[in-house]
Amino acid sequence: MESSGNEFIRGTLKTIVLKLLAEPGPQQPSGSRRMYGYEITQAVKERTKGEITLSFGALYPVLHKLEQEGLLTTETEEVEGRLRKYYTLTPQGSEVAVQKVSDFERFMNMMRSLLQLPSRLVTAP
Amino acid sequence: MKKLSPQQVAKLHNHLIHIGSTDVLVDELLDHLACEIEYRMWTGFMFEAAMNIVLEQVNVEAVRQLHTTYQTELAMTDEQLRQASLDDIVFEFRNKAYGAYDLRRAYNTALRNAFIMALGLCMMLMAMMDLMSRKTWSYFSLTGAVWLIGISAVTYASVSWYLQQNHKQEMSTR
Repeated sequence: MESSGNEFIRGTLKTIVLKLLAEPGPQQPSGSRRMYGYEITQAVKERTKGEITLSFGALYPVLHKLEQEGLLTTETEEVEGRLRKYYTLTPQGSEVAVQKVSDFERFMNMMRSLLQLPSRLVTAP
Repeated sequence: MKKLSPQQVAKLHNHLIHIGSTDVLVDELLDHLACEIEYRMWTGFMFEAAMNIVLEQVNVEAVRQLHTTYQTELAMTDEQLRQASLDDIVFEFRNKAYGAYDLRRAYNTALRNAFIMALGLCMMLMAMMDLMSRKTWSYFSLTGAVWLIGISAVTYASVSWYLQQNHKQEMSTR
């Protein structure tokens, strides 16, 4: 599902990023976590067992767009001699994350019922 | 996991600049690619080999693509454009944290403050010279008025400058 998979991801990338950031992180059990770009790509890769790899070309525009919309804040820290930019959800971002995830679940349910054969056809003699 | 040396990071940085990555993105891309190279080195590659594998995906084409998406996705909306100053437009997609953006934005107030302060100091100097030649002092003479105006102008400019500094610091620590 290489090429078509990427096509689907493009539309859901925002949701994926918001969802990942909304989960309680290892350092701060309460509230949302902070992640940097590479960490997000690794988290996605790990959970999908390597099926989905985000390219930096897709990820960073989305992150910066979310920041511009006020859903994320950033803090830059120097780590191992390099500047690393961490992203955290704003309160508004947390709300949008919940909203987006539930919207997406609804969408998935609709898709599932679309993909199933209509029961009338299945049971017809 | 093995860490990249500063020389190796610098090499990567040069490459990114060379293929035309801009200010806003270069630090983030650098960290991203360095992480990827470190991961590959951990799986057993040497630095050169790991860097070559990673950089295969990061050619001029990919970076240009990134910029195009970036500029269409993140361009200012019409509403923002209407409110934006010339500085905002010039510095769109550029590194604002570097300092030039702040300097330019503060330029008008800085110039005004400097002008008021210079004028005030001049007036104070004139009043002082007048006092030295006359040896008498009264606040209710022309000299006294000049002195008072001068000293209030200097105070105003310094307070305004101080507030601006404070404001800037608050902005940067946020």
